[in-house]
Amino acid sequence: MTERSAIAPPPHARWRLLVQFLGSMRLAVSLLVLLAIASIIGTILTQQQPYPNYALQFGPFWFQVFRELGLYNVYRTLWYTGIVAFLVLSTATCVTRNTPRMLREMRDFPTRQAEQVLLEQDEWVRMQSPLAPAAAGERAAQVLRAAGYRPRVEQVADGSLAVAARKGRYQRVGYFLTHIAIVVICGGALYNADVPVKWAEWRGALQPEKNFDLPLSQIPQKSWMSVHNPAYRGTITLPEGETANAVFELAGDGYLVQPLPFRIHLQSFQISYYSTGMPKDFISRIVLYNDQGKELKAGLVRVNHPMSYDGVEIYQSSFSDGGSLLRMNSYLLGAPGTSPRTLEGRVGQTLQAGNSGYAVDLKNFDLYNIVPKSAVGEKATPDHPTVNLGPSFTYIVHDKSGAGAEFKTYMTPITREGQGFFVQGFRTAFANPYQYVYIPTGPHGGIGLFMDYLAALQVAARAGSNASEAIFVDTFRQVVAQDAPEMSPNAQAVFLQASMDALLQLRDYPMPFVLSLSSFDHRWAAGLQVTKWPGTTVIYWGCVALVLGIFILFYLPQKRIWMRLRAHDEGVELLAGGSANRNRLDFEKEFSTLAAGLEQVLEGSEIAHKEKDNGKPAS
Amino acid sequence: MANLRVEQWSALPPAKGWWARLSMGDWAWAAGLTAAAGIVLGLYGAGFGYWQFVVLACWYAALMAAGLAWRPMQIATLAVVAPALLAVWLYSIGQTPANNFLLRDVLQGYAAALWMSGLLLAATAAYLVFLFTRSERLGRWATGLTWAGAIMGFIALGVRWRETYIGHPDWGHIPVSNLWEVFVLFCASTPLFYLYYEKRNQARALGAFVLPLVAAGVGFLLWLTFAQHMDRIEPLIPALQSFWMKLHVPMMFVGYANFTIASLVGFAYLLGERSRRRGGWLGRALPTGAVMDDVMYKAIALGFLFFTASTILGAVWAAEAWGGFWSWDPKETWALIVWLNYAGYLHARVVKGWRGTAMAWWSAMSLWVVSFCFLGVNLFLSGLHSYGQL
Repeated sequence: MTERSAIAPPPHARWRLLVQFLGSMRLAVSLLVLLAIASIIGTILTQQQPYPNYALQFGPFWFQVFRELGLYNVYRTLWYTGIVAFLVLSTATCVTRNTPRMLREMRDFPTRQAEQVLLEQDEWVRMQSPLAPAAAGERAAQVLRAAGYRPRVEQVADGSLAVAARKGRYQRVGYFLTHIAIVVICGGALYNADVPVKWAEWRGALQPEKNFDLPLSQIPQKSWMSVHNPAYRGTITLPEGETANAVFELAGDGYLVQPLPFRIHLQSFQISYYSTGMPKDFISRIVLYNDQGKELKAGLVRVNHPMSYDGVEIYQSSFSDGGSLLRMNSYLLGAPGTSPRTLEGRVGQTLQAGNSGYAVDLKNFDLYNIVPKSAVGEKATPDHPTVNLGPSFTYIVHDKSGAGAEFKTYMTPITREGQGFFVQGFRTAFANPYQYVYIPTGPHGGIGLFMDYLAALQVAARAGSNASEAIFVDTFRQVVAQDAPEMSPNAQAVFLQASMDALLQLRDYPMPFVLSLSSFDHRWAAGLQVTKWPGTTVIYWGCVALVLGIFILFYLPQKRIWMRLRAHDEGVELLAGGSANRNRLDFEKEFSTLAAGLEQVLEGSEIAHKEKDNGKPAS
Repeated sequence: MANLRVEQWSALPPAKGWWARLSMGDWAWAAGLTAAAGIVLGLYGAGFGYWQFVVLACWYAALMAAGLAWRPMQIATLAVVAPALLAVWLYSIGQTPANNFLLRDVLQGYAAALWMSGLLLAATAAYLVFLFTRSERLGRWATGLTWAGAIMGFIALGVRWRETYIGHPDWGHIPVSNLWEVFVLFCASTPLFYLYYEKRNQARALGAFVLPLVAAGVGFLLWLTFAQHMDRIEPLIPALQSFWMKLHVPMMFVGYANFTIASLVGFAYLLGERSRRRGGWLGRALPTGAVMDDVMYKAIALGFLFFTASTILGAVWAAEAWGGFWSWDPKETWALIVWLNYAGYLHARVVKGWRGTAMAWWSAMSLWVVSFCFLGVNLFLSGLHSYGQL
């Protein structure tokens, strides 16, 4: 990034050539463009996904190739950081090389300048004036003063008069600020990037653990970082009421454990909603303790409002179920007459459904299910476009052979045309959308009436009845008379029709039982991100310097004007020359205004001025 | 120095400093703006957090600088603020678009944005016809229509800001939160900056190159309005509820607007130079290459300053919302690509002294980079900035 003056090194000094190469403008521009192109890769390829996703996307061969190139985490690869390091090195070389010259230029501004130098300026004009040299000199200085310059006038030994003025003396400061800022910002980022850990990982002293199901106590020591680690960024999923003193940091296809200098206790997690059903805020109430159990700090962590303690920042980054306690009723479809059994478990647990051999994986619990009204056949209004279907839970059921299906069960029935329905979604492949069974609810709200009806039908079928309409209706009458004699004939008709639909939907139902949720004890888990980035302050100061520097560079250009007045028989001849190092077109206008002013006050006439190739961009 | 007689000095131009060059209008502007800031502080200052003082100070400084550097900004600001305040007042006395025709047809954010669209489309047509006919009258119309369009656009944003609070006070936010709102901002701010370069360089023919892209933006905005109904006011997701949005997004659009103008002037330069070589009419209609080159550079320099500052503010915001000031999110990465691209351009131009066709190509082609960063990332890639998606 040399400014026009390429310093010519002695040809035999090799390191000088290297320095010249590193500090060359060509290299700088090439690196800027190269870095821009390299950066594109990471935006096309989604970064830091689990490795199996990539393997599925690219196939084994390309997966391997891309992995070797580090394309799954481009911005942390050796080659990418290498380009950045090269750019920083080049910038630093430039600054070092240019500093003495620029400081000199800032300090020294000779009033006298050889006429040849004046003629080498971007603008010059030569004019003739009848005034005496001294008078002409003072007037010329006055013209410069009027334009906001502070000119100096000096008598030269050969009898001529030298005038000089400049603006934007400190423009070079902009150069220092911007270029040093880049070095500082990259240095700070490098510090934040936790180089010692990367180094230990590379040497093999640290080994990322690949088993994500391991409890903290069983994670081998080789995957633990030091508590004195200067910089880190890890995450933890903390259920309500629990405490943690370590966070996890992803590394390649595994993770590392970062112990914290304190314990984080999550008291509660809460989501607030807008009237549309959109989440408005995610709030974790946390308390920090030291190892002796002394409270260090307590407060709320919200999105955009992190908590800071002793250089460590804690952010609200995600949320999930923290192991809600679910109480369920299990209705057997194939065993008529049996009363429902109760099941109980926490989300994340696997339950055995009695001794049937079926395993129930409780996957998730959602307190709210906010869906567009149109999705459930209701009319949406602009202010209330969504409807809350209430709590639901999802689970996977495996039979003894290992075949499985996923279920989504809503706790509260939905109502359609006066009839309540218990909604049960199921699918046998994760890629498929859910298929739904709508089981009608009886006058008491539960699905007992339908289950009794189903059982009665099965008893009738076993007794040899054929599936005729009369059998369906008669059986229904018997069940209603026993279970819910108060049902109106109209309600009975609606219920019977709904039951017929449900029986059809149950044909594809993959398991011999239905779970319903009777009650729950909800428990959130908050995803907290914990960072320690001491380099950040330095980076921010670098940023301030960068913006300030850019402003100075572009808006406070250095303009220099020199004049030489030589006496002769009929007065004086004046040569004025000047240049600006930015906005030369503006300076061209300014200079011609100055020249016109000079011509006027010196009562002179122009002899010559710099020839311009107008129309071509000013150089 | 020699003694000069007094009458000899009379021929000298009076020394005029920066202060002396301010006109009465400038002083009135400074006083008015200061009074307005004082009124805001008096009315709402008691409830301000420190960041609201920062935002107010930024707006005050920016408007002051813009008004003094470019006098038409003074009138334009008044032309935006007065109708917007009228609309706010109408809302405050219980008027709504349903019962007030002025709100319904002109002043409500949605209507004003449509007015902006219409005016800018008309301005585009006027500039194009002007380029062919060179009719001075038509040229003045083109400039006037552009002014009117930009002013309507900013009225739309101002009134919509108020509208986000009506009926649901907890939704309120500066209207730069979704694609529809930022397109209104883009369509309003690009012509405004263009008008500055037009006036400064007496380069009206450039409008025929800049405005068509604004018209394309208007077309996209209308599509968003009528096909996607994205003009609906919606509440903010938690990540966007931050005062940094008031600084980050508007500053970003100073960058986008200037980069866009520079690119289009680059196209004008290339076509103009080509035509000049062949002695065509376009070469005569367009400003000289030196002027276009200068506009390109000036626009890129201003855009670069704001783009840098805005990216940094975005990083500070990200540090607070996402726990890291740089996450290599696609939008961030593309912002870096844009930044590197223009850093390269500025180094080549300022330091290497490159000029002319090569730099015009660079500037023109940068339109792809900038528009991918602005729009392409939201349409084709997903990431943390995906609230700008369709």
